[in-house]
Amino acid sequence: MAVSYKKLILNGIFSENPVFRLALSLCPAVAVTTSVRNGFLMGIAVLCVMTMVNITVSILRNLINPKVRIPAYILIIATYVSITDMVMSAYSRAAYKEMGLYIQLIVVFAIIISRAELFASKNKVLPSAVDGFGMGLGFLGALVLVGAVRELIGKGSIAGIHLTGGNPLLIMVLPTGGFFVIGLLMGLFNWIDQKYYGGRPGGVGGGHH
Amino acid sequence: MGNKDIIKITLNLVAICALAGVILSVTWTITNPVKLEKEAEELQAALKGLIPQADAINKAATFVSAGGKEGTIYKAVKGGKPIGYVVSAYTKGYSSFIKMLVAVDTDYRIIGIQILSEQETPGLGDNVDKKWFKDQFRGKTEDHLVVIKGETNTDIQAISGATISSRAVTNGVKAAVEALRAERAKDKAL
Repeated sequence: MAVSYKKLILNGIFSENPVFRLALSLCPAVAVTTSVRNGFLMGIAVLCVMTMVNITVSILRNLINPKVRIPAYILIIATYVSITDMVMSAYSRAAYKEMGLYIQLIVVFAIIISRAELFASKNKVLPSAVDGFGMGLGFLGALVLVGAVRELIGKGSIAGIHLTGGNPLLIMVLPTGGFFVIGLLMGLFNWIDQKYYGGRPGGVGGGHH
Repeated sequence: MGNKDIIKITLNLVAICALAGVILSVTWTITNPVKLEKEAEELQAALKGLIPQADAINKAATFVSAGGKEGTIYKAVKGGKPIGYVVSAYTKGYSSFIKMLVAVDTDYRIIGIQILSEQETPGLGDNVDKKWFKDQFRGKTEDHLVVIKGETNTDIQAISGATISSRAVTNGVKAAVEALRAERAKDKAL
């Protein structure tokens, strides 16, 4: 594999950003991004799970029978998500109280199984780990960005620090606002890509969970 | 696909499941005692936070709360005498069951309330956990546990955009006081 690690990381953050370019895992991207803090916590959890899943799938890639690879990947993802859930519930109570409901949903995030299937199952351990980490960073960055815009307009604060006075535009922290912000940011990503890199519009695959 | 293949595939999945099972049980064995201990600590801290002058606050009775879930009554004692009660109860909110603690004195006057868990609408319903909203309950008796849209000095002012959640918490507090009354009527020693 000739692709450099730096390129793999940048791929996850920009050219194949899970939310803005691949349009995968939009469901959590709308659900948890009512504030920077929630977006950040979810992003970190996904980053850890995705890196570990990619490593495990890559190690086991020659042992898993191709006919049952999807159930096998789901099991691996579910195991790591359950571990994250149990560890958080014991050692990170404050975060778990806010995120508990969403943590278990990571199992069905399309972005994780798609990286296991498209990348980790065909590549060596180190590139797979880097790919998972890069994609995780891209997802984390996207959630923090969406969270920042929604929190600023919807609550008048960023990361809990109050910035603007008056009545904030409440609709932005409701699901509706999530769709607005993700749509506009996705447009911005496509615009930058087309103007400066001559790329094709992202999100051609349609959205999944 | 031959029979051999089926056995191979089955064994493959069984092996992965078994490994996952082992890993999960080990993690659970390590994390669960820590989790239970922290939950108990958090509960004690929450109870003490509501009635700080009590020497001890211990579980005294249980009852059926909203949604068939178990509610608990804790008795606060100081110098051997009961000085109040904390009722742990559920109430049906807009999008979740809200779990809360309601502290009352021996005359059923509200000392304070605490929201333990809720999954209400972010930015609207989850404001029931805001201090100004919870503080409204302090000193109130049952007949003033009424939600008013707009300003009020005597009753409970609704959170704008979250009347259902406001009403749910208020009705939950009322139900908790009623449950305590009913339990004390049944058990005179309580």
